[in-house]
Amino acid sequence: MSAIGRLLEDFEKNGRRPLRVLGASGQLGYGIPTPALEEGLTRKPDMIGCDMGSIDIGPNYLGAGKMAPTRVGAKRDMRKVLRAARKLDIPLMIGSAGSAGAKPHLDQTLEIIREIAAEDGLHFKLAYIPSDVPKDVLVHEIRAGRVTPMDTMPDLTEEEVEASSQIVGQIGLEAFRRALETGADVVVTGRACDTGIFASIPAMLGFPLGIATHMAKIVECASLCCTPGGRDTILAELDDEGFVLESMSSKRAATPASVAAHSLYEQADPYDIREPAGRCDLRNARYEAVDARRTRVTGAVWHPAEKTTLKLEGARLVGHRALLLCATADPRFIAKHVALLEEVKGVVRDLVCEDTAPDYDLFFRVYGVDGVRAWPALPDPMPREVFIMGECLAPTADRAEEVVRTTKQYLLHHGFEGRLSTAGNLAFPFTPPEVVTGAAYRFNVFHLMEVDDMAAMFPVLTETF
Amino acid sequence: MGTQLQNIATVIRSKNAGPCLVTFDLMFKNTEDFTRAKNAATHIRREVARLYRKSENEVRVIDYAPSNAVKITIPRDIVSGDPGDKDVYGAQQHSLLLEIEI
Repeated sequence: MSAIGRLLEDFEKNGRRPLRVLGASGQLGYGIPTPALEEGLTRKPDMIGCDMGSIDIGPNYLGAGKMAPTRVGAKRDMRKVLRAARKLDIPLMIGSAGSAGAKPHLDQTLEIIREIAAEDGLHFKLAYIPSDVPKDVLVHEIRAGRVTPMDTMPDLTEEEVEASSQIVGQIGLEAFRRALETGADVVVTGRACDTGIFASIPAMLGFPLGIATHMAKIVECASLCCTPGGRDTILAELDDEGFVLESMSSKRAATPASVAAHSLYEQADPYDIREPAGRCDLRNARYEAVDARRTRVTGAVWHPAEKTTLKLEGARLVGHRALLLCATADPRFIAKHVALLEEVKGVVRDLVCEDTAPDYDLFFRVYGVDGVRAWPALPDPMPREVFIMGECLAPTADRAEEVVRTTKQYLLHHGFEGRLSTAGNLAFPFTPPEVVTGAAYRFNVFHLMEVDDMAAMFPVLTETF
Repeated sequence: MGTQLQNIATVIRSKNAGPCLVTFDLMFKNTEDFTRAKNAATHIRREVARLYRKSENEVRVIDYAPSNAVKITIPRDIVSGDPGDKDVYGAQQHSLLLEIEI
């Protein structure tokens, strides 16, 4: 019998009881502290969940099809949770495979799982759900007027869709549930709402959706909701009225204040958790201390949506990136740097373009002055030294490298009125000071699409080890 | 007499809320300080709009009593990770708030 089958049978035969949910990691691949995970496993958990992804890491991972953590880190963490779940014979749920959850990310994650299963002699049924959105489907829905922009994004055009390197949809609870219904022991999805990872099993067991979704939103970040916050495994005990949170590290406490504050984190609205099938309303949520390290949470309410909507994320290539890393401590250069950098841009353009139009962008971020944002005014006095990062985006990596190498030479030796330091304007921390970082992407899709049939668009695939 | 936010808040932080928005959390140590900030919401909105060069209707202010917190959300200057971005996570955009007086 499958792990989920055993759990369902337990509830059917022995009646309802609190469900013990273990949030092992909010960023699988960046390390799971073993002591807290081991402590969690002694509490007889009913399931283990891990989130692997986020949009906050920027467009490059999605666009390039690369994981944010190293493969070694991802495999080490995956081995920990896979072995734990198989040892206890409980479901393992993993969302947003490989950081961004597109096909290459899911493929890399599945490859890691297959390797571990073979190396460690593990036996289980795996269900996985790709969450890529086909371009022809998206174009069809744009024409039907069923795609709307999120926040400040412009309307989605067919040209943008065609230019995207990856487009994914954030699948939700129902997708995880369909995967479990195949009798899977391990579920891995492409890009998914974090809450589906942890709320799908409670939903199958009939726990109230509002409370289960609120719990899921908190435990998907492991012990981040605690004081001090951290990545240690967290345990939630869910019943029909609420749930109790406890970090599996004795150094971390889930207090009413720390848990309530978690609703603010990376959310524009702390009172609403948006899902494809509805929203979870936290306006009447209550947070009460059970003891110094545990908090009980109640009061979240689920409101189903009239239409199912899918949040889309896509990225397209914008060029190839090369950097120049250097610094200056010359007060005369620093005083005039805004004009000098513009002059050097002109010198470089004349050299690398000659009579043709520029085919690249060259930016400078001057750390100490405006590296982090465009401040309302220059610093007064100016700093003793500044770090200058030149960035070129060009059609090819070779072209970007040519631009930054030329920039380095002419910025180093650029003459200006009042210059005393005639041997060179720059300090290089090492040579070469130019770095080619490769393909660069931007988010071009962050939209909502209406979907009538999630199951048809995102079918479940299975594999048995 | 005004007090700077940095002198009464226990947390002043920024972070992306999706790739298009940056959200600021101001947390206060007690209900009294929180209420003072909540009552100054109109003034805070105006100051944030001025300092971050947004129109006032682009600045959303929400009070969150469970954490004695005021949340402010504005559009990012450019979408996270677009060419020319300087703070992909948006975690270092808070410092203009420190000296706002309420």
